[in-house]
Amino acid sequence: MSVTAALAGGFLGTLVLTTMLRAAGELRLTRIDLPFLLGSAFTVNRTRAKALGYLLHFTIGLLFALGYYALFLALGHSSWWLGALFGLAHGVFAGTVLVNILLPLVHPRMGTSLTSAPDVALLEPPGFLMLNYGLATPIVTLVAHLAYGVIVGAFISLSA
Amino acid sequence: MGKCSSGSAAGERPERHDGYAPLREYAAIGDGRTVALVARDGAVDWLPVPDLDSPTVFTAVLDSHHGGSCTVRPTVPWAVARRYLPGTNVLETTFTTALGTVRVTDAMTVPDTRLTPMRELQRRVDGLSGSVPIRWSVTPRFGYGSGPTHIRTRAGAPVASCGADAVAVCTWQAGRPQCTESAISGHFETRPGSRALIALSFAHQEPLILPSCVECDARLVHTCTVWRRWLGERSCGGPWQQAVERSALALKLLDFAPSGTIAAAATSSLPEQIGGIRNWDYRYSWIRDSAFTLDAFLRLGCAREAHAYFWWLMHATQLTHPRLRVLYRLDGGARAIERTLPLQGYQGSAPPRIGNAASDQLQLDTYGELLQTAWLYAQAVGRLDADVARRVAEMADLVCRLWREPDAGIWEVRSRPLHFTQSKMMCWVALDRATRMADLRLIPARHADRWRRERQAIRHFIETRCFSDRKRSYTRTADSEEVDASLLLGLLYGYAHPGQPRLRGTVEAIRRELAFGPFVHRYSDADGLPGSEGAFLACSFWLAEALADCGRVMEAADLMDQLITQANDVGLYSEEIDPADGTFLGNLPQALSHLALISAACALTERDQR
Repeated sequence: MSVTAALAGGFLGTLVLTTMLRAAGELRLTRIDLPFLLGSAFTVNRTRAKALGYLLHFTIGLLFALGYYALFLALGHSSWWLGALFGLAHGVFAGTVLVNILLPLVHPRMGTSLTSAPDVALLEPPGFLMLNYGLATPIVTLVAHLAYGVIVGAFISLSA
Repeated sequence: MGKCSSGSAAGERPERHDGYAPLREYAAIGDGRTVALVARDGAVDWLPVPDLDSPTVFTAVLDSHHGGSCTVRPTVPWAVARRYLPGTNVLETTFTTALGTVRVTDAMTVPDTRLTPMRELQRRVDGLSGSVPIRWSVTPRFGYGSGPTHIRTRAGAPVASCGADAVAVCTWQAGRPQCTESAISGHFETRPGSRALIALSFAHQEPLILPSCVECDARLVHTCTVWRRWLGERSCGGPWQQAVERSALALKLLDFAPSGTIAAAATSSLPEQIGGIRNWDYRYSWIRDSAFTLDAFLRLGCAREAHAYFWWLMHATQLTHPRLRVLYRLDGGARAIERTLPLQGYQGSAPPRIGNAASDQLQLDTYGELLQTAWLYAQAVGRLDADVARRVAEMADLVCRLWREPDAGIWEVRSRPLHFTQSKMMCWVALDRATRMADLRLIPARHADRWRRERQAIRHFIETRCFSDRKRSYTRTADSEEVDASLLLGLLYGYAHPGQPRLRGTVEAIRRELAFGPFVHRYSDADGLPGSEGAFLACSFWLAEALADCGRVMEAADLMDQLITQANDVGLYSEEIDPADGTFLGNLPQALSHLALISAACALTERDQR
């Protein structure tokens, strides 16, 4: 197992995950846009927000891959299917805690259930499993994170 | 001379028939990406989101029962007056009731420096006097009314969503919003000086942005400023200045900012005959309109728009080069598959359609239009890029091969192809402009001799087979006796000198056979479709310009004056008009009608100044 393989897997996995989410949007399945959510925490300029968001998203993707790597090391075993399990857990965590609870805490423009008609522009809150962004969003994000986990797991296990 | 309706005096409460407002009663508001239609009774009955050619969220104009709309109006009887705020595409509707007066300001706002919703429709209600009960209702029907709409409350705002689309209804001082399965509504009372705001924030493939009241107010001011600044940079003088300015603003509404092209109209399937089947989607860019568009941009001093439009043309036509499609999507794509919508259609005018099957037709006039456009652009800029120049030359080569074929003609008839005279004239124009550009070394001149030979052959064909001695007029098609208003374009594009008897005879024949008062029909014989249509407004303006070209300036000015009064209360034109009662027909606002107005008004003004 190597850190380089984890980072390479993280990069490719994030690429696939982002592409799947974008494609789901184009297919009118969801309004989820993780780069836009992330970038708009730092700037109100839509173009810059998306550019910055993609950069942040890939950075976070690499960090999560390192987290997977640490878990594999702790377990002493790595495989694509274990990666898939991590990806599934990762997807559930993202939909329930990360984007729904933690992100609104640090995002200056995202609404929560307590806000109403504020003095600053608000981003629509994602809601549980990000259901606010479309009924298909949980499925789409779970499948995308599953793919991410499989890719990261495969890269790390192949380097072992 | 030169009066233009920029607004209306307070009039009676408009009547709807089976839920449909007369087409004449629609004003258009937009943000350079999409356009909404607002009726005199305060209903937004048409709005595609996010773009002009996207599926609609409000489609009541095509189905009053299931189409969806956004209404804001008093609950007591009213009289109504409207205007655009001067120099803008922001609409102001004043309702006068026995209890008092209120003013509704409608705008599709343009983005500012804040985090702006993807698209935003603002409806501001100001109390002017008395106390007026107001009821508002938002009934979104995504995907031309076919999408299932889910209504929930998010962060204090009602949100309607469907797949990757959503709209949040943010309100301030507009009463407590009530949500049902299909609508979000509320009611409140105005007081003198009171201000309520209903802001619809739209999202497509992204999370919604819920703006604050302060930001909405600032954005509305910014929107007015943007429009006024844009119009302030235009050069529109002359006796019909007001009408030209309104037409310029209407064109800017149809100017699709993300790509730089112009949509033929903001709507789809508004009928050319009430109850008929002539219902087409005009949310595409027609090559037919290109020369008028570029000419209007240049005349109005819109250099940036002219550049953007020409480069869009080059980008779009690259896909099918050297052949031209009749029309292209606003993003430059060539596919426009036609299908019908499961909607009632405006006053039962079924079927409503999206897409446009005319895109697959052969229309030879498009080559003349495109080369005329390139010629205008080259004259304005002084040069053509090498790649563009090569492609223009290749199109001229193609015209040499194609001009003998029958085609569907400028009016896109769905009957069998014929040898339309105007198509041949435009082929002549194409080769004439090509030889001129070759002479000036703007395009490669290797085949210039062939272009000249073929140009002469086209003229011989027109003069021997497309002229009626009996009528002393060019005819609609080869070997026929009918006339066609599009022949006026032969004059306007310089197929022959205006003093030439054959052209003067043609102008007379068109007036004699196709004109009813100030209105001109396109043609009088069959076109392969059942039913009839109204008079085509662009043809009326072409006639005015042609009369001026023939030296009959007073007649032309008189005709212009009559036509200017035919606009609706806010200065907009549809595609067609019923000469009998002035009913608007066809899609609106119609680019070609406004382009023809600008062209005629500028031509007459220039002639006046000489």
